[in-house]
This record gives sequence, structure tokens and C-alpha cells, in this order.
Amino acid sequence: MNSLMIKALAFAVVLILATVAVVKGMKIDLSDPINLLTMLGAIGIAIITAGVTTKYIGQMKTDKSTGELVGDKWDGIGEYKNELPSGWAFSFMGVIIWALWYWIVGYPVNAYSQIGEYNEETKAFNAKYEAAFANPDQATLTAMGESVFLVQCAPCHGETADGLSGKAQDLTNRMSKEQILDVIAKGSNQLGYPMGAMPPMLAQGADADAVAAYVAGGMQGTAPAAFATCVACHGADGKGNNGAAPNIAGYDDTLVSHVLQNGKKGAIGAMPSFKTRLTPVQEKALSTYLQTL
Amino acid sequence: MFHWLEKNPFFFAVGVFLVIVFAGLIEILPNFAEASRPIAGLKPYTVLELAGKEVYKKDNCIACHSQLIRPFKSETDRYGQYSLSGEYAYDRPFLWGSKRTGPDLHRVGNYRTTDWHENHMWEPQSVVPQSIMPAYKHHFTNMADIDTAYAEAVTVKKLFATPYDAPNGTPLGTHEEAKAAALEEAKAITANMKNQDVKDAVANGQIPEIVALIAYMNRLK
Repeated sequence: MNSLMIKALAFAVVLILATVAVVKGMKIDLSDPINLLTMLGAIGIAIITAGVTTKYIGQMKTDKSTGELVGDKWDGIGEYKNELPSGWAFSFMGVIIWALWYWIVGYPVNAYSQIGEYNEETKAFNAKYEAAFANPDQATLTAMGESVFLVQCAPCHGETADGLSGKAQDLTNRMSKEQILDVIAKGSNQLGYPMGAMPPMLAQGADADAVAAYVAGGMQGTAPAAFATCVACHGADGKGNNGAAPNIAGYDDTLVSHVLQNGKKGAIGAMPSFKTRLTPVQEKALSTYLQTL
Repeated sequence: MFHWLEKNPFFFAVGVFLVIVFAGLIEILPNFAEASRPIAGLKPYTVLELAGKEVYKKDNCIACHSQLIRPFKSETDRYGQYSLSGEYAYDRPFLWGSKRTGPDLHRVGNYRTTDWHENHMWEPQSVVPQSIMPAYKHHFTNMADIDTAYAEAVTVKKLFATPYDAPNGTPLGTHEEAKAAALEEAKAITANMKNQDVKDAVANGQIPEIVALIAYMNRLK
């Protein structure tokens, strides 16, 4: 046993002791087989490191180079002939030939399109989606509406739909008094209802105030006289005459769909249009979910 | 096998040249493809949007946000239509990014609005409670660098023939005209904002960084 081996063994022992010390120090539970195997692996690596080091340092000390020199010398430095093993060389050339065949014949470079794969994936998904949600029941719609809401609407309206203390429309309520006054003062022509534009200033001063208080209060009690102007389009119950004008009493499928399609700009701020971002089923689901709030 | 090349440096150099030419062509040729041309209707950035883009670069938004929607169903569901090469024709440099700690922003203008950005940049957690994005309140007090943005626009106009002042392009004009146009654009944005300091600054002819950044965000569609 020469001094090199003794040094390597000592090195391995130090590494093993260090491993054991770390395991003890971190109070690792060795009854768990994963931990035990990991520690044994670390010890194994220490032994292999010592062995390999010994082998190669020994080789560097004792081995002499052998072989046939090529003819040339560069600045007095020669080079051994070191041919590739023929099996290796032939398989390498074989792979090059196979690669050319694969590129040109087997799977031509123009045979695959990322967009094509995307289109197929989307088409398959849409078919599956339509089949699965052809006739959704109320519970399915509510669940779908909630998940759509959390992804698409919650960033502005908040996860509880309360509008994040006035940063967006409070969807648990139809309209606040300020919002109604704003619409009365400015009119509105944003949602594309058949009834068309609502002109500004249909009611003024105390009349507008009374209407706003009545509508914001959920239309309880007797309607103020000025509400008669609203009835012409929005209906006596405020529900919008079956989709002719926006429902001001609450959320319904038509209202939700019109807002999603057209976006909206009101007293609080602007909401972008969600045209093409949601399917009709998702719109219906959102409306169903909003009505449960 | 290549022993002969080692003894003939001239032919060795020719070989190296050929390899580099091939690699260069692979890199350069796709830029001339039809798909890399500006898509129909694409306009260069206005000066205010460019100033916003500078803010985006300066505050290193690219470290957490990408601007490239890949053609996967999961991505197009969340962010919209996948990105096309020609959409970045006037982005110098493009800001694709490769890290998504936050969401992709390539079409953020489609689904976020000025007032949302205002709330979000002031205090991200006030609109997205789980957000780990830091607040960028200094955007509300720092002024955007409109002069540099104008210089950038003039440079790309002269150097790369970016269609400023072209029919159906983006008007640029002289330095004074461009500054006035940027201020007009900023006023249109602050009309939808609530922060009184920002409104006052714009009314006094200054443009805070937040306004430029929102102009840029709204442009990303």
C-alpha cells in the first residue's frame, strides 16, 4: 500500500465522517428509507471519488505514452495516430444519412405546423366543450360562472364581486344612487339595446334625486312621479321590457351579455369589451352566477 | 481526416467562413419572410407610448412579465389571440421576455383599463389581493422623458424608415409638435384617472411616468 492510497483512504474517511456528522447534526430520521438510501449514496460517492482519484493520479505518475506518431511535428510536438473505432465511425455516418432521410422523406421540415396543431387542439376542445355543455343545468352554469368570474372578472370586481370598495361596479347590487344620477345626467348609448340611446337630462334636480333613490333602493314603495319617464323604456318593473332596454332592477342574461359584448364606461371607470373572449355558454353562466350573489 | 486542413490555413479559413455564412443565413433570412413584415394596420408607437415603453424597460418589467402569447389553448384562453411575428415590427427592441412571474402583457390593453392600471400600479394588492407585485408609487411623481422618446422616434424614422408622418401612420412632426401631441394624449388619459397630483401635473404641462406607462399598456392589444 503506497502513500497515495493511504491519503485517498483518509480523504474518503473524512468525507464519510462529514456525511455522518451532517446526518446527526440535522437530526435526520434514518428510519425513512429515502433518507437512509440518500446517506448510503453519499458514502458511496465518497468511496468512488477516492478510488477514481487514486487510479488516475497513479496512472499519471507511472504510465508511459505509447503508439505510432503521425509524420508531422509542430514546434517539436508530435501527435499520435488516434483513429476512431470503426464501429463508432460507421454508426456516426449512419446517423448522418438517417438524419437526411428523416428531414427530407421521413418527416419533412414543412410537414409540421405549430399553428396547425393549435387549430386542431382548439377544434377538438370546442367540440368536446359543446358536447359537454349543450344543455347545462343551473348548478353547472353557476359553477362555470364562478370559475369564469374568478379568472376574468375578479381582477377588477374583486373575488366577492363587491367592486373592491368602489374601484369597479359592485355586482352584488344593481346600481348606487351616484351611478344612477350620473347616467341620468349624461345619458347612455353604450350597450346596443334595440331602444337605442338614452338622452341626457330626462329628469333634473329633485326629480332626478327621487328617481335615483327609488331605483337604488330596489324600487320599494310608491314610484316618484318622475319615474314615469323611465317606465317608457325600462318598464314599470324596471326590467327593461323584455330586452328592449337595460334592466335597471337587477342582472339578467340580456344585460350581462350586452355589457360583456360592448364594454361600458360609467361613473366609476371603464370596463373593456369581452367580445370573442367568452363563449355564449360562458356568458349565460356568468349571468347565472351573478344572479346568485 | 481533417489533418490536411490543419496544414493549409487558407482552406481552413474558407471552411470556417462557409460555416459562419450558413449560420448567418439561418439567422438572417427569416427576417425577410412575409410573416415578419408589419401586420396590416400596425402603426408605430406614439411619442407618449414610447416614453411609457422606456419606463417599462427602466423599471425592468420584463423580469417578471412576458409579451409573447404562445399558440396553446391554455394561453389564448387567458390572454387572447397568439402573438404574430409581424406585430413586433416596430418594437426596437422587442420585449418578449422569458419569465412569467406575473401574467403576459402582450394584449393587456384588451382587458384592462386606465383606471385599473392606476389602482394597480399604486397598490397592486388593492385589486389583486394575492399579488406579489411591488407598488410603483414613484411612477406618480417621476416625470416621463418625452424628449428621449422623441429622439428615439426620429432615429427609427430616419434609420429604419419606420412610417412616422406617413399616410395612415403615426404623426410625429417637429419636436414642439410632438411634445404638444404627447400632452394632448396624456390629457385624454388623465381624464379617466383619479389621482389629483397626476391630473394637476398634466394640466401644468408635465407628464408623470404613470401616464406614459398607461398609454403604452393600453396600446398593447
